[in-house]
Amino acid sequence: MVESLARRKATVEVASSGDAGRAAAGWMADQGIVRAVLADDPVVDAIGLEPALRAAGIDVLRWPVAMGRREVLGLEGPEDVCGVTVPTLAVAERGTLVLEASVGHGRGLDVTNRHHVSLLMADRVVETLGEALAQTFADGRPVPSAVSLVSGPSRSSDIEKISTLGAHGALTEHVVIITP
Amino acid sequence: MSTRRRRRNPGVAYSDVKGTLRDRTVDALRDPTLADNLRTAGDSWGAGREVMKRDFGFDQMRDRARDIRRSNIRNMPALLAELQSNVRANGGVVVRAADADEACRYITDLARARGARVVAKSKSMATEEIKLNEAMEHAGLEVVETDLGEWIIQLANEHPSHIIAPAVHLNRDQVAALFRDEAGTDDVPTDREGLVAHARVRLREKFAQAEIGISGVNLGVASTGTVCIVENEGNARLVTSQPRIHVAVMGMERVVADWDEAAHILQVLPMAAISQDAANYVSLITGPRREGETDGPEEFHLVIIDGGRGALRGSEFEEVLSCIRCGACLYSCPMWQNVGGQAYGSPYSGPIGAIITPLLEGPSSPGSRDLPFMSTLCGACGDACPVGIPLPDLLVRARARSSSPAKRKAGLAFRVWSLLWRRGVTYRLTMIGWRLGLRIRGRGGWVHRLPGPGSGWTKVRDMPSKWPPRR
Amino acid sequence: MRTCLSDAIAPKVWKATRRALERAGVEVKVPRGQTCCGQPAWTAGHPDQARAVARHTIKVFAGSDEVVVPSGSCAGMVIHAFPELFAGQPDEDDALDLALRTIEFTQFLAKHDLDPRAKACGALTVHDSCHMLRVLDENESPRDALAKVPGCEVREMAHTDQCCGFGGVFALNFPELSGRLGEQKAQAAAATGAPEVVSCDLGCLMHIAGRAHRTGIPLRARHISEVLGS
Repeated sequence: MVESLARRKATVEVASSGDAGRAAAGWMADQGIVRAVLADDPVVDAIGLEPALRAAGIDVLRWPVAMGRREVLGLEGPEDVCGVTVPTLAVAERGTLVLEASVGHGRGLDVTNRHHVSLLMADRVVETLGEALAQTFADGRPVPSAVSLVSGPSRSSDIEKISTLGAHGALTEHVVIITP
Repeated sequence: MSTRRRRRNPGVAYSDVKGTLRDRTVDALRDPTLADNLRTAGDSWGAGREVMKRDFGFDQMRDRARDIRRSNIRNMPALLAELQSNVRANGGVVVRAADADEACRYITDLARARGARVVAKSKSMATEEIKLNEAMEHAGLEVVETDLGEWIIQLANEHPSHIIAPAVHLNRDQVAALFRDEAGTDDVPTDREGLVAHARVRLREKFAQAEIGISGVNLGVASTGTVCIVENEGNARLVTSQPRIHVAVMGMERVVADWDEAAHILQVLPMAAISQDAANYVSLITGPRREGETDGPEEFHLVIIDGGRGALRGSEFEEVLSCIRCGACLYSCPMWQNVGGQAYGSPYSGPIGAIITPLLEGPSSPGSRDLPFMSTLCGACGDACPVGIPLPDLLVRARARSSSPAKRKAGLAFRVWSLLWRRGVTYRLTMIGWRLGLRIRGRGGWVHRLPGPGSGWTKVRDMPSKWPPRR
Repeated sequence: MRTCLSDAIAPKVWKATRRALERAGVEVKVPRGQTCCGQPAWTAGHPDQARAVARHTIKVFAGSDEVVVPSGSCAGMVIHAFPELFAGQPDEDDALDLALRTIEFTQFLAKHDLDPRAKACGALTVHDSCHMLRVLDENESPRDALAKVPGCEVREMAHTDQCCGFGGVFALNFPELSGRLGEQKAQAAAATGAPEVVSCDLGCLMHIAGRAHRTGIPLRARHISEVLGS
């Protein structure tokens, strides 16, 4: 998984549950991130991310945010905002994160902000895309309104057919793989 | 209540193309920037394809991809019914549009009813085919293409030259000039990264304003009523998450049965199209936002287009319906590599476009009937196709089906030819006459000008009157 | 099978093919009344006319042994397209029968491990016609045959899998694009430093040589039969 993520030009670190909050906050501080928008998810709490971010002097918002569209899109307010997501699954073979929209997890969290940090539980990694999709859309499970398969930060090769980062989605993708 | 004016759909080929197909190829050949840009694109695609084969097992995945798509087309009516039912069960609206007119009318009526003024679009071949942008602009809407390449050519007021990389024929200086005009300032970067950053901000303004987001559909998964949208940039993510209403436009043939099939095709597609083993973003959307969710559209409309596709099922052209619009056949085609996509005069260019444009329009439609002939039948496209469409064979069938004054004239000539060449004696007589003619007209072992249909030969080549040919 | 192109442009080619086969110990018959496989009309979108001529070819070669063709294009037409051209026709079985018996010249040599005992030749470059490469799925048999020719040095050109731009009726309908592709091919061939280009297909050679001559690219051309049956 680590190797595939690197191939996708994401950055990745592995941390235990006890260290992950500080590790994520540290990475964000290094990037100059001033505000983080967090998914409302048990994993966020389990690693103590909020207190770690406040300690790093980073403004914390929790989903759902009371913000106009312009601010959500970064046209107003600070530029260096980071969306923090919690994948339901990840695909090791391809370096792909599976993000599901839900009441606590905005579907745009990883794309509307300039930066993206993803908190991936190590036991949620499966080998192939087929497995990930079979589990996501298993019989009897309610179908999510939006599932986003995210493989690396945003890219465009529309200008001279050479891959350039950052056309619309996040410019950075940092994955923290959380081991028990 | 406003009156509804029924717009006559002018077909699939662009209505503003100049001259004949041959004229356009000649124009394209005269453009050195185009040649360089296409060569860069073609070489990079070729190199990428080798990597996909060598390191990611691309060749091994093709047979299954072909079988999946053939089975999808065989079961198309049942799969579409299941897709429709599941979309509705998840709160979406489904409309089956028989043709471009119906689809455009539905979408413009919806926009009007919701008081929309700005529409943000992500790349969709189907919407180009039905000329949706024209219809919406005609209805007074501001339509913004948000795919970077599509936005560039929208600003350039041009047609795309490739299914996947529409602005592949432009270089960065040309793009910077377009951005300067759009922004009304000279303060636009000229390096690639700077240009992309500039576009990002300009287009986010539009995402903020748009009441409606319109996307295409790469695959519709029948078992759960889910539409899959594949992209690298992230603009489709924004189109399907920011505006209040999402309209997804889908060709009826883009349906797969279940997630097993979808997983396979979703892997083959980026490999074939852009030589990556995964696209950056794949959005799997089932209906509008659920109760309690605070982002995502409140309404989801799926417009499924027939536009002539249904009639192809069971015909000798049925296999074109397997197409997943990867664009590989374009990159592999020596014709496309030398003239680019705009010469084809249709949103669908390259070998697949040369076959389906006249199929969807009619065999005698002047804008498209010559397209199947603009090919040497070299077969590179058939080799490139990830779903095993026998493109060279279909090009020959498309030629047989095509109808034009030139073809009727050629038909008469071939009738005479076949009368003469189905007997040894008359065949030998034509050969004697031909060889005599060559010898008479030959100078130094070469003929520099042939009359009649032969003039096409001698326009650019000499004909050897002796063999082996003299240097 | 002589092929209509050889009859029209270069009877030396079918004669050299016969010579090569006879030197290799093969008994060769050349049926007099033969004409054409019908490909020009088939690819021009006139299948009925193609079929009328192809029908004659089926009759001429009925009951013969292997039919050897010094053309990947014509062999490809018989093998790959006759089944579709004659599908549902009263003589469909005869068409399929001929398709099974037909084989391109260098493939025939390879299949029966034959040596035409050709005279020496020098450096040359090989053009793989698209029909050989993709319809017959073959690029080894011509090279294997040339390897047996004393002194033969094959210098491979760049992009051997790129079409030369002949394409039959395409050459007449889109001359400028056809000429551009032909020029690219001629340049690639000349860039190897070899004085001549050799191919299994006369159509490609006429076109490459014709374009080379028009644009002043120094390049000779011979059909592979002329090398092997020298």
